[in-house]
Parts: sequence; C-alpha cells; structure tokens
Amino acid sequence: MTTPMWALIAVFAPLASALLLAVLAPIRRRGGLAAAVSITFALASLVGAIFAVIGTLHAGGSDWTRSWLASGGALPLSVTFGVHVDGVSAPMLAVVALVATCVQLFSTGYLDDESSASRGRYFAYQSLFLFSMQLLVAAPNLLQLFFGWEIVGATSYLLIGYWYKKPSAARAAVKAFWVTKFADMGLLIGLVALFGFTGSFEWTAQLAPAAATAVTLLFVLAVMGKSAQFPLHVWLPDAMEGPTPVSALLHAATMVAAGVYLVVRAQPLFAQAPFTQHFLAYLGAGTALFAALLALVQTDLKRVLAYSTCSQLGYMLAALGAGSAFAGFFHLTTHAFFKALLFLAAGSVIHAVGSNEMSKMGGLWKKMPLTMLVFIAGAFSLAGFPGFAGFFSKDLIIDSLSEHHLWAPYAALLLGAFLTALYMGRAILLTFFGPHESHEAEHAHEPGWSMKLPLIVLALLSVGAGFFGGDLWHLASLTDYVHGVYHFRFGAVASVLALSGFVVAWVAWGKTREEPALARSLAAFANRAWVDRLYVFGYRAGLLLVSDVAAWIDRYIVDALVNVVGSFFLLGARRARRLQTGNVQDYLFAMSLGAIALAVWSIWR
Amino acid sequence: MTLTTCLILSAALFSVGLYGLLTRRHAVGILLSIEVMANAANLNFVAFAHYGGASWGQAFALFVLGLTVAEVAIGLALVMLLFRSHKDVLVDLANAFKH
Amino acid sequence: MTHHLLSLIVGAPAAAALVLFSVPATEKLFVRIVALTGALISLAGSIAVLATYNLSEGGFQLRETYPLVPRLNISLSLAADGWSVALLLLTGLIIVAGVLASWTLENRQKEFFITLLILVAGVFGVFVAQDLFVFFLFYEIAVLPMYLLIGIWGSSHAITEGGPFKYIWKLFNIGDKQYAAMKLTLMLLVGSALILVGILAIYSNGGHTFDLFALAKAHYPHHMQLFAFVLLWVGFGSLAGVFPFHTWSPDGHASAPTAVSMLHAGVLMKLGAFGLIRVGMILLPDGAHFWAPFVGTVAVINIVYGALAAMHQKDFKYVVAYSSVSHMGVVMLGAATLNVLAWNGAVFQMVAHGVMTGLLFALVGHVYERSHTRDTQRMGGFATVMPGVATFFTIAVLSSLGLPGTAGFVAEFLVFLGAWHSAYSWWAVAGVVGAFVTAVYVLTIARRVFWGPPDPVKQFHELRDVRRTEWGALWILGAAIVVLGFWPGLISSHIDKATVANLQQVNGAAAVTLNDSGHATRSTVGWAKQSDAHRVRPSMMGSAPLHPSYALTRPMPAADRCRSAPPIQRAGSRAPDATTATVVMR
Repeated sequence: MTTPMWALIAVFAPLASALLLAVLAPIRRRGGLAAAVSITFALASLVGAIFAVIGTLHAGGSDWTRSWLASGGALPLSVTFGVHVDGVSAPMLAVVALVATCVQLFSTGYLDDESSASRGRYFAYQSLFLFSMQLLVAAPNLLQLFFGWEIVGATSYLLIGYWYKKPSAARAAVKAFWVTKFADMGLLIGLVALFGFTGSFEWTAQLAPAAATAVTLLFVLAVMGKSAQFPLHVWLPDAMEGPTPVSALLHAATMVAAGVYLVVRAQPLFAQAPFTQHFLAYLGAGTALFAALLALVQTDLKRVLAYSTCSQLGYMLAALGAGSAFAGFFHLTTHAFFKALLFLAAGSVIHAVGSNEMSKMGGLWKKMPLTMLVFIAGAFSLAGFPGFAGFFSKDLIIDSLSEHHLWAPYAALLLGAFLTALYMGRAILLTFFGPHESHEAEHAHEPGWSMKLPLIVLALLSVGAGFFGGDLWHLASLTDYVHGVYHFRFGAVASVLALSGFVVAWVAWGKTREEPALARSLAAFANRAWVDRLYVFGYRAGLLLVSDVAAWIDRYIVDALVNVVGSFFLLGARRARRLQTGNVQDYLFAMSLGAIALAVWSIWR
Repeated sequence: MTLTTCLILSAALFSVGLYGLLTRRHAVGILLSIEVMANAANLNFVAFAHYGGASWGQAFALFVLGLTVAEVAIGLALVMLLFRSHKDVLVDLANAFKH
Repeated sequence: MTHHLLSLIVGAPAAAALVLFSVPATEKLFVRIVALTGALISLAGSIAVLATYNLSEGGFQLRETYPLVPRLNISLSLAADGWSVALLLLTGLIIVAGVLASWTLENRQKEFFITLLILVAGVFGVFVAQDLFVFFLFYEIAVLPMYLLIGIWGSSHAITEGGPFKYIWKLFNIGDKQYAAMKLTLMLLVGSALILVGILAIYSNGGHTFDLFALAKAHYPHHMQLFAFVLLWVGFGSLAGVFPFHTWSPDGHASAPTAVSMLHAGVLMKLGAFGLIRVGMILLPDGAHFWAPFVGTVAVINIVYGALAAMHQKDFKYVVAYSSVSHMGVVMLGAATLNVLAWNGAVFQMVAHGVMTGLLFALVGHVYERSHTRDTQRMGGFATVMPGVATFFTIAVLSSLGLPGTAGFVAEFLVFLGAWHSAYSWWAVAGVVGAFVTAVYVLTIARRVFWGPPDPVKQFHELRDVRRTEWGALWILGAAIVVLGFWPGLISSHIDKATVANLQQVNGAAAVTLNDSGHATRSTVGWAKQSDAHRVRPSMMGSAPLHPSYALTRPMPAADRCRSAPPIQRAGSRAPDATTATVVMR
C-alpha cells in the first residue's frame, strides 16, 4: 500500500460509516451498534493516518488525485479531488482521527441516557464530521478544502443542534451557521477571484501583490468566522449548547482549527501578502488577549474553555501572521490534545454534576480524582507550564513574534499567557476544590471506562506531545514552504508569567469562592452581550428591515401592478357585461340598428 | 301601382314586424311579428318577379311560405313547452341560462 | 429501440394519460399504477438516454423526424444534446416523485393524473424538440394544464391584509386558488403571446423554416435581433420567474397541490430559462450580447430580491416559492454571462434547483396536509414527530444555501466563477451575498418549523411522518441532490459538451459580426490558463478579467491588448472559424 492509499482510507473510511448509518436505518436506530460502527471506522481512519505519517517520513509527500469537475471551451476548468499527503497534512490527519476516536469513545458513555435512535443520529453526524474534516485536511487544492470546510460547518450546525428540542440549542446552532456562513462568503469570493486571476485553485499560485492581498484578506474573513476571531467569535460560546464531546471535538480541537489550517496550507499565498500577515498577527494577538479576559469572568465551565479556545486560536494565527507556519501548526496539534482533554474532563464533571455552572461544583477532587488529575494536566499544558506540551508550542509562538519584532502582539501574548494561567487556575479551584456547592456535587463519582480511557490517552499526549516537536518539525519541513529552523529556547518570561498566574489564582480563589472586586467589574465591562447586541441590531435593523421593504415592494408595487392591470379588465368587464342582457330581443335591436346604420352608410357614402 | 309603392309597402310591413319582434314579450306575438317580416320579404320577391320579369321570384315566395309554416310549427311547440314550465308564455321567463 | 427513445420518453406519459381515460375512476390502485408506469417509463428512458449518449461525439443525437405539415416546413423533429440529457433526467425524476407524492390524493385522482401526465409530456417535448413550431406547441401543452391543476386541486388560503390596495385585493379574492390559477395562466399566456411574435419574427427572417438547425445557421438583421430578443426575454422570462414578471410564482405555487408545485417549480420554470437560451440566445446572438448586461443585472436583482422577499414570508409555501424566484435568478445570471462556466452552471442549476425545490415542495406539501396550516409561526418542533421529513428538509435546505456536497453548490459555484469572468465581476459578489441571505432565511425557517419543543399547545393532531410511497419520492430527490453534489461529472460532462458547441454558435457569430466592423481581431480570443507568472493580471477589481465574448463585443482598451499579449492560441481552444460564419450586419 502506498502512502496516498493509506490517506484515502483515513479520509473515506468515515464516509463509509456515515453512509452506512444514514442509509441503513436498522443500524442507526440501534444506538450501540451505530457507535460501534462509527468507532470502528474512526479507528480505521486513525490507522490509515498513522501509516500515512510513516509513509511520509520514509518517502516524502505524494498525491492521489482524480478529476472531479471539468469544463472545456475558452475557460478551461479542471478541478481535482483526492489526497495530498505531505508533512503538514499527514500528522494533521492523525491528530484529527485520534481525537475523534477518543471523543467518539467518550460519547458512548456520555450519551448513555439518550434514546438509542438519537444516539444513532449522533454517531452518523460524528462520522460525517470526521469524513469532512479529513477531506479538508487532505485537500490537494483549495476548492476541496472549501468543500470540507463547508461540510464541517454543516455538521457543526447539526451537532450543536443535537438537542434540537431545546430552543437555546436550536438558536445556537442557527447562529453558528449564520456567522460562519457570513464569513465563508469571503472564502467563496476569494476562491472565485483566485480562479479569475490564475485559472486554478492551487495554493502555490503566484499573484500580483494587490490581488494577493485582496484574496488573502477575503480568506482571513473566513478564518475569522471559522476560528472564532474577534469580532466573529460570538458563535463559539453559544455553541457550547451542544453535547460536551461535540464541543471537545468540533469547537476546540479540530473544526475551529480549520481556519488556522487554511492559513498554514495557503502559506505560499499569504507569504505574498505582507499586509494580510501583519493584520493576522494583530488580529490573533488582540483576540488572544480579549478572549482570555472574557474567559476569566465566565461562570460556566464550558464557556471558560470556549473563550480559552478563541484565545489559543488567536495565538496560532498570531504566529502565522509572523510568518512562522510551523509554530502555529505545532500549537494547533498540541492544542488539539490538551483542549480536547480539558473539554472531555469538563464533560465528565458535567455528566456527574448535571450542570455547567461552576457555582454548582466544588470539592470534586475527592470524588473524581482521575478527572481532577487529567484536568490539571490539561490546564498546565494549556497554561504553558514548563515541560507540558503547550509549553513548547506556546514558547515557539512567542519567540517567533519577537523574532519578527512584532512587539505589540508580543506583549499581548505574554499578558495572555499570564491570564491563561489565571483563568485556568480559577477554573480548577472553583471546580475541584473548596466545599461542595450542590447536592449533585456531593454524590458525584468517576465515570466508566469508556470515558476514562480517552481521558488517559489524551492526558498522556497533553503531557508528552511537546517532546515530539522535533519530529513534527522534521515532518513538516518536508513541505518546502515551512521555513525556519526548529530550535527550542526556554521561554523564561512566559514560564514565570504562567507560574505567577497560578499563584495569583490561588491567592484570589484559593480560600474563598467570592469573585474579587476587580474580576466583578471586569465582568461587567466585558459582558459579551454587547457584541451580540450589535449583531442582533444589524440583523433586525439591517437585514430584516431590508427584507420587509423588499416584501412590501413585492406586494404593493410589483404585484399590485399586475393586479391593477387585472382589475382594469375585471372592472371593465363588469361594466361591459351589462350589455349582455341575455334577452334576444335586445340583441336583435342592436342588430337592426347596425343593419340600418350599414344601409345608411352605403347610401350616403 | 309601381315597383316603388310595392317596395315601400314591404319596407313598412318589415318595420312593423321588426318593431313587434323587438318589443313583444308574448311569445305568440313574437311569432306573429316574424310572420309579418317574412311576408314583407315575400312581397318583395313577388313584386320584383312581377316587374323585373324573372318568374322564379314567385317560386321563392312559395318556398318561403312553406318555410314559415314549418317555423310556426316549431315556434308554437316551443311556446307550448314554455307554457308548461312557466304557466305563461312571456319569453323573458326563459332565462335559466343567465342564472 | 434507441431509434425511438425520445419519442418513447415523450409518448409514455401521454399514452398513460390515454389509457387512464378508459380506466374507471373507482379502480384507484390501477389508476395509480398506470400513472406511475408512464412516469417510470419516461424516467427509465431518460436514464437510457444518459447512458447511450455518445460523449466523445457530442452534438445532437437520437434524432427522429416525422413530417407534420410539409407545406409549412413543420415536422415533429426530436433530438437530444447534452443539455437535453440532463434536463430529461431531471424531468423524469420529478414526475416519478410527483406521482409518488400524490399517491393518496382523494379528489378526482384519475383526472389529476391525466392532466399531470399530459403536462409532463409537453415538458419532455420541449427539451427535445428541434422544430420551433413543435417546441412552442409542447411549451403550450406544458403551460396550459396548470390552470386546471391549480383551479381544481389547489388549496385556498385566505390572506387578510389591509394596505393601499385593499379594494383590489377583495376584488380578486387574493389567496384563492382560482385567483392563483387565473393569474398564473394569464401571465404565462401573455408571455406566450410575446414568444409567438418572436418566433414568427425568427421564422420570417430565417428563411421560412421552423427547423432549429437551419434557423441557427441563418443570420438575422441586427435590429430585428435586438427587438425579438426582448420579446423572448419577457415571454420566457415570465415562466422563468424573472423580476418583475415573477409574481404569479408565489401565489401559484402556494395554491397548487403538492405534485403540481413540485413539477412547476422543479421543471416548468426551467422551460423558461431553457427556452430563452435555446431560442433567444443561440438563434439571436447579437440580441443576447446586446442585452446581456441588462439581463444579468435583472438576474442579480432576482437573486437578492427574491431571497429578501422570502425572508419576510410567514407562509411556508410562500417561502419556498420565493426561494425559487431567487434561485432561478442564478440560472438567468449564468445564462446572461455567456461563457462556458456560467452556462454550465446555469444548466446545472436548472437540474439542481429542480431536484431541490421538488423535494422542498414535497415536504412542505406533506406538512401542510398533516398540520392543515401553512403559517410557520404556529408550527414548531415537528422534527420530533416527523423525523424523516425533517431530515430531508435539512438536505434540501443545505442544497438551497449552496453547501458543498449538494448539487446546489456545484451549480452556484460554476455560475459565480463564470460571472467573475464577465465584464461585470460584481455579479459574482452579489450572487454570493444572495446565497448568504438564503442561508439566513432557510435556516430560520427550518428552526422555526422543525426544531424547538414539540407542539406545546397540542394544536396538531394528525402529525405523522411520511409513509410508504412518499418515502420513495423523498429518497429519489434527496439522493439525487447528494449524488450530484459529490459526483457532478455524472451530468456535467454532458452539459459541458453541449455548452461548448452552443456557445461557439453565440460567440462565434457575434465575433465575426464585429470583426467586419473592425473592432477586434480574432487573435485576442485565446484565454490561456494564466498560471505563468508573467501573465498575471496586475490589477484586480478595477479591470475585470475579460472573457472572449466581451473582449470581442466591445473595443479593447489598449492596456488590455498589451496585457493579453502574446496571444497564445491554446491548443484545442475553439476559435470561431471564419468560413462557417459569414455574417454581414444588415
């Protein structure tokens, strides 16, 4: 088997499972069977991805493509689909498949009180998601990437709306789709323009500077939507309405990282547009800081993690903006592990307590020691505690910014590192320490093995993945446009900041669960609602108003015109029908008059 | 007596018949008016035959007489039907199609 | 067998209708089976056409000719090219699904099927007719039965609205099915009258023949083309739902019974666009080029305006009807763009939208039948009781907003790619915005109707999921959406073959016309794949990339000429051959 064949397995195995579950209702309706099918194929995808990585290590990248859509004539269009295996896509395939497998396994335990039909539906969505994500990752051109990009958006919509009977979940799903669809206009127009300029959808295309800037800025709009960057981040916190494993997989580890992945992939295009890169650096750093501040004041555990995801994606984009594709990509992989871990651990807690609110938790360390341990491992990794995975990748990002003398984003990211440790410290303390705050928290217990196993796997990776940075670099450098050298420098400042963040958190929340005054005022200031309100205003006063106007014009001008013409004949006919009395004598009278008139005319002519 | 006087007489008869046809509501009256008009035409045939010399005009007159007899037969039958259904023979009673 | 394949496809529904005349209406099952058989034969025939069509040869195939009125050069001439292949398949799918969806119709089912089948025979005929007279005949056969279908089997829905035209509204009894039927028929017939005038103008200027091949070779005076094209645009445009002649569509589709809405929005509206391209644009290339900016701009209005109007609607069927208006705008935009990509997209969109809107109307019809209301504000949580309907509705909605993996994406994307290459790149941008607005309202409607808590006030008693044959309708259309989304090559290569040939007709003739007037030279035709660095366009939005058609129809600025030099004639690019097209501007 060649490398592309393994990659094809990685991509299309989940599709097979999705089709099986979609078409064969008997399998789908038996929830456990559906889960088994889905997990089996996810494992197949993982195996395929791992062999693809090995193949790439040995023999370098390779492609397998077939024609998908072609058109002749004076405007030749030839779109291919297939897999493009190289040092970026192969490890990404493996990461996605690994996290997806863990999450699906976790889901079997997490959703055990759902009806089996609806669990079947869940796993059908999960398989479809995995397929489309792998399709995106393995894309040989930007069009296939867009293809996967949109389908992951749709599965995200379906999975957020998994509990569709809950109005808030339904709204959140639609909102997420709206916002990302709005942003995707940028990618769509960008692709159309790219084809207009180059006649292809390759990311290696050469463009004039102005065109490159325009196209990449359009791409960045889509990235802002998908990777939840300010000001299009509003959908991500609401997306937490979905089941927690979904949040772990889609809204933390993989799907939201698609934006980052797009920038990594299209690095040759972005390299032609320095303005866009600068914009990206500032955008990423700004979001990293802003979202970290918001994470500090959330009371909902999942929302803390959601804002943390926004913030971490900001880190990655800032690195890409600085031109260091590898730093962003490295953080993308480590983040996938520790953020998935954090969400799954949070899911385990939520499953036990039955609430997302940290005010209902507390003191869980005695009841759920394993969950606490893995959560802390994830938190340390996220905060960049020396030795943990996140530490390596985050230092690389901060390093790359200083290398390119982007001092403002550099400072923002350093401050962000401190805040990260602070809010994670707060989350740990409020969730696992202090007194039990609710009846459920007192009776919480560790989950079953189907949930523990993924936690342990991901915890090991969150702790150790950083040490494989060199190997990842070796792989990624096979792709010619991943520049620079991987060298590891101990980021003393960032480490000190991270440590001090934990210390401050201990000081603030170690003894009391009261929010300090500073945090309270910050919460009032950073109330996320104002951005939302802006959008609601735009929707109501903008789109809905225009739509009302259009509908009014349609009814009372365009359609009325038709009706006026019609009524002209109708009313005229009402008058005219009086002539038709139905009395033969009247008709005869008219005939005689006519005959006389004719006679007179013929005489006097 | 010239052709002109005959034609004037025929025109007068026709006008009387037409007036009757247009104004009568009684079915038998309408039939009578039609007869008058037909006979006005007959008079024309006979007059032209007499003064113009083409004798087949008289043959037409006989033909029209036969025709009017047939017409009266059908007309009176219709009048009978009208009477049976409406107990009267006013033609504007037969307006079922209009409503 | 293949010699009579096309007459089999056209004839099967008509024959089934004839058989139905002699079947007693009380034999319900038999009536249904006869109707389904007729539809299935047509579908099988369409699939056979798809399979037997020789792609490498291209052009018109499976030709059949029977003289009808030899003295006037009228003959029943049928042939299929790549476009016909795709559209026959669409019609076959929709009619089978339509018959399945009206399986349980109670009221005068036999007569319903007779009318429906006669109508669909007309539709099939239009797609394969090669004689302009027969084309028009089939067109009328396809349009007229609609009056009966809506007037007898439709549903009335009282609309009580005030406003400045209250009096007129009361006069018409707006919302009534007779009103809708009358409005639809009258508007379309006015359109037909204009088409007839246009056709007669073509006939008398094109050598007194109705044969489309001969007519395509003929050359028409410039001013006659400009005039006749407008007539055809208005005429065919009314059926295609072009703004501002679209208002029959919401009322008509809302009042029509399920199968009729499916067929009408799914296939009949395409007749309009198809007719405009086949008769208007291919026969009258000068007219097409002259009016293209106007037609395209109106199409953009259609897309955005239709979507905005749909967003406002509260009536379930009106939403879908207005979305049809919006999506037909994409077809018209593709048509007006006059390049290969956009025309491919336009024809693909005909198929994609046909399947999608057929599915939507089937689902909406089902929901209406069960809930007895079309007011979406009263609905909610239907997914709980009708999960099948909700699933297929989601598929249709995703296709509607142009999600990759559904047929809608391929079509819209091709049109946008083509539109960017026209002289009016903003068309593409406006089209993308229209697609976003579509996403906003279709997702809202899906949430409002299907999601949320199930029926809190217990007002719906008869809600249930689809059953038995109705599944067939949904599966056929839903599968078609997904299959065409993932595997567009199934029909796109057929479409492309015909597009390239037809477009050569349009652009070739125009090119030579202008050549004579000395504006442009043929060497500028080559639009090479600009992957080489030196051929990169230095500016972007300011000077839109010129497509050959536009490069040829307007004087080329010096800057553009420099930019496209050196003129590399791509191997196999289809420059018009001067010997085949000797056009003189009269």
